[in-house]
Amino acid sequence: MKIGIEIHVQLNTKSKVFCSCTTQSSEEPNTNVCEICGGFPGSKPVLNKETLQQGIKVALALNSKIASETFFSRKSYFYPDMTKNFQITQYETPFSINGKLDNIRIKRIHLEEDPGALIHKGSTCLIDYNRAGIPLIEIVTEPDFKSPNEVRLFLRKLITILEYLEVYTRKSEATMKADANISTTGEKVEIKNITGLKEIERALNYEATKQKETPAKKQETLGWNSDKGITYLMRTKETEDDYGYIYDPDLVKIEIPKELVSKLKSQIPELSLDKSSRFKKQYKLNKEDAEVLASEQKLAEIFEKVAEKIDPDLAAKWLIRDLLKIINYNKTTINEIKLEVKHLIELLGLFQQGKITDKTVKDLLIELIKEPFSPKEYIKKHNLEIISDSGNLEKLCKEAIKEQPKAVKDYKEGNEKSIYFLTGQVMRKSKGTANPKEVEKILKKLIR
Amino acid sequence: MILQHYLKEVKKGDVSIKKTVKAILREAKTLNKKHHCFNIISEDLALSQAEKQEKEPKGRLAGLPISIKDCICVKDVESRAGSEILKDYVPPFNATVVKKLVDEGAIIIGKTSQDEFGFGSFSTNTDNIPKNPLDTERSCGGSSGGSACFTQLTKHPHASISESTGGSIANPASFCGISGLTPTYGLVSRYGLIDYANSLDKIGIMSKTTEELSPIFDVIKGHDKKDSTSLDISSNSNNEVKKIAIIKEAFEIDPKIKDIILSNLEDYDVISLPLTKKYAIPTYYLIAMAEASTNLAKYCGLRYGSTLPLKGSFNQFFSEVRSKYFTKEAKRRIILGTFARMAGFRDAYYLKAMKTRTLIINEYKKAFKKYDVLISPTMPILSPKFSEIKKLSPLENYQMDTLTTGPNIAGLPHLSVPTNSIGKLPVGTLLISNHLEEDKLLNFGRKIEEK
Ligand SMILES: [Zn+2]
Repeated sequence: MKIGIEIHVQLNTKSKVFCSCTTQSSEEPNTNVCEICGGFPGSKPVLNKETLQQGIKVALALNSKIASETFFSRKSYFYPDMTKNFQITQYETPFSINGKLDNIRIKRIHLEEDPGALIHKGSTCLIDYNRAGIPLIEIVTEPDFKSPNEVRLFLRKLITILEYLEVYTRKSEATMKADANISTTGEKVEIKNITGLKEIERALNYEATKQKETPAKKQETLGWNSDKGITYLMRTKETEDDYGYIYDPDLVKIEIPKELVSKLKSQIPELSLDKSSRFKKQYKLNKEDAEVLASEQKLAEIFEKVAEKIDPDLAAKWLIRDLLKIINYNKTTINEIKLEVKHLIELLGLFQQGKITDKTVKDLLIELIKEPFSPKEYIKKHNLEIISDSGNLEKLCKEAIKEQPKAVKDYKEGNEKSIYFLTGQVMRKSKGTANPKEVEKILKKLIR
Repeated sequence: MILQHYLKEVKKGDVSIKKTVKAILREAKTLNKKHHCFNIISEDLALSQAEKQEKEPKGRLAGLPISIKDCICVKDVESRAGSEILKDYVPPFNATVVKKLVDEGAIIIGKTSQDEFGFGSFSTNTDNIPKNPLDTERSCGGSSGGSACFTQLTKHPHASISESTGGSIANPASFCGISGLTPTYGLVSRYGLIDYANSLDKIGIMSKTTEELSPIFDVIKGHDKKDSTSLDISSNSNNEVKKIAIIKEAFEIDPKIKDIILSNLEDYDVISLPLTKKYAIPTYYLIAMAEASTNLAKYCGLRYGSTLPLKGSFNQFFSEVRSKYFTKEAKRRIILGTFARMAGFRDAYYLKAMKTRTLIINEYKKAFKKYDVLISPTMPILSPKFSEIKKLSPLENYQMDTLTTGPNIAGLPHLSVPTNSIGKLPVGTLLISNHLEEDKLLNFGRKIEEK
């Protein structure tokens, strides 16, 4: 099986690609529209340099060649979401070619404008041109994927890179779209216009399974119906040339000086791949943990700060197994939580010193992602420090033995598990501040 | 000199701007009935601008009446580029040239008639056809016919802002007996110009005499960051013309026209531009139509301009609107232009034309190593009668641009200067200089006019 994809990603520049309208989404339709993105007679596009610079950063991160000069073209077709009935894109001369991410070759990356949005309401169709002119980059791979799963892993990695470069904001599913071509033993079919990461994977899985059973007999262009979860036949294959491309005569040749490329290169932060291998070496983490920690820039940043003060292994475990779980459970993201690194260091420091229990750390983490406060003061105020004074512990153990004669009897008769039950009782009495191993020891001593 | 004289009088306070503007508006309305030189006379705008300037004259062109070719956007004034598909379209913004003129105190008196979107050599491809100022049976030339017509007829200080893609300034200037300057491509901002063919479109000026072009040219030229193709360099101020040459192939025409032009020249060489002669017309029409066919796509009845009740699929709706409101010539250019950029033909037509264009530029560049100004007639014929134009095939029509397409595709500045008449019909001499050497043209043009 061979799969190739074309991914369209919305860049997160402040203004649109050929005018100064904001790219911020607006509740009111057709408010972020000017004479240029609105395609009014006489208006002319002027390239927003920031969009090209963001594009070049992506290309560099994907190990691509940057052209020394680049042109824009008009891709002509009639559609109501297009204000000019042509799209300004790049055809013969994209700004970047020949890249690679892992073992997937990247054929080209180019810059273009997004059309507006059609909103179907009953029998009418409304058009909102707020999106018209938002910058997109199109990343085209060679057919190097061998399964839909490889595509998924690639896209995950790509998103991580885009987020690291701060050129992409995952605000909605619509910010990433893809066309995919897939061939098994038969002819190549193309699935057009799939919106969102999850849908891309679903569509490919569907089509891959279908193709395995009945390979396509001729080249076909398919659409993806996400409601029904099936592909459908759109039209017979069109070649790119039918769009009647011409160079856009309103936009001149854009030169990309070497100095600009090296400047942009120097601005590229350490990417996740490099970071995870560094984590592995520097902090002696296992491969899996290192990759998870490096997958999001903010998480990696928190980890490195914590690891300066706390045992890295311990820090990694708490971040991955607990913090991420709590974040997921609360349906928020690492970038949105209120947790302050100094409080996290304080909290894990207390744990490392054996002053608080596992449970206390978890309970406080849940609170700390909602609002910042000092764990030290909180623990003091609520008496959450581990009771290490054995006199006090012994008192609680005696109480438990007195209250649970059956469990004591069971234990004496050889039922080892009953000791855990008794330990649990003592823990409860101590509000979780006792050291369970200590409790067990005292209980065994007292019963014997 | 009538224009400069007026500007001086305004400075001294010896003349009433309001009176002048009222008089020219009155004249425009009267002439328009017979000659159809305006698509719209912007009386309200002109009067309010005149009121303001009368109180406090400000700027280099304070109080000067200017007419604007219909394809150049004037805020709040219908700007339809001679097309019915843009009927009642009122731009929400001023073209950069209009802004510059108004900032210097000019008064905008109206939008002049033209071939639809500039598609034509006689201003006959439109619903409002201008009639030649010297013989109403004849054409004003095109596509800036209305501008040339009014410039010839008016008795008041005035200049017209027009536009050339393949000869649309020089051609009507020649047929109407006035002076028309087409500057270097990119020297005057195209922002706000309703596109015909963006890589060829140039905004220029018409006035009765070459002398009167200069103060307007000084105002409208210069870099504009809203137009990516706008040049960020100024034109060359050296206006000395040492050596001239006539273009051999361009004089293979009516000997009467040839004699008139040559009788005004002395000390010239003869050079040959065979590539330009052979390829200028096909190259021009291929590039212009390919670009035009994409520019015209936006007119589909959906967002502005003429429309029809929404019905059927969007493709049906677009087709109906476009079929109804475009002229036959616009449809011809859309079809030919779309064909030239289609799969399988692109390499043979559109891309080849782009390459040929470079050859033509190089041929001129070589000539300018030796000569300051190249000379040819502006038009191969005198202004034809409308009845004669009707008989021309499209190809014969396109052949009318044989002398003007060369400098236009090369983006070279050129000036048509009125040079005597045959009977009552004027002859124009076309002067061509190297890029950014407009001052040489203006200098040499004045000398020819003096003869
Ligand atoms: Zn805009």
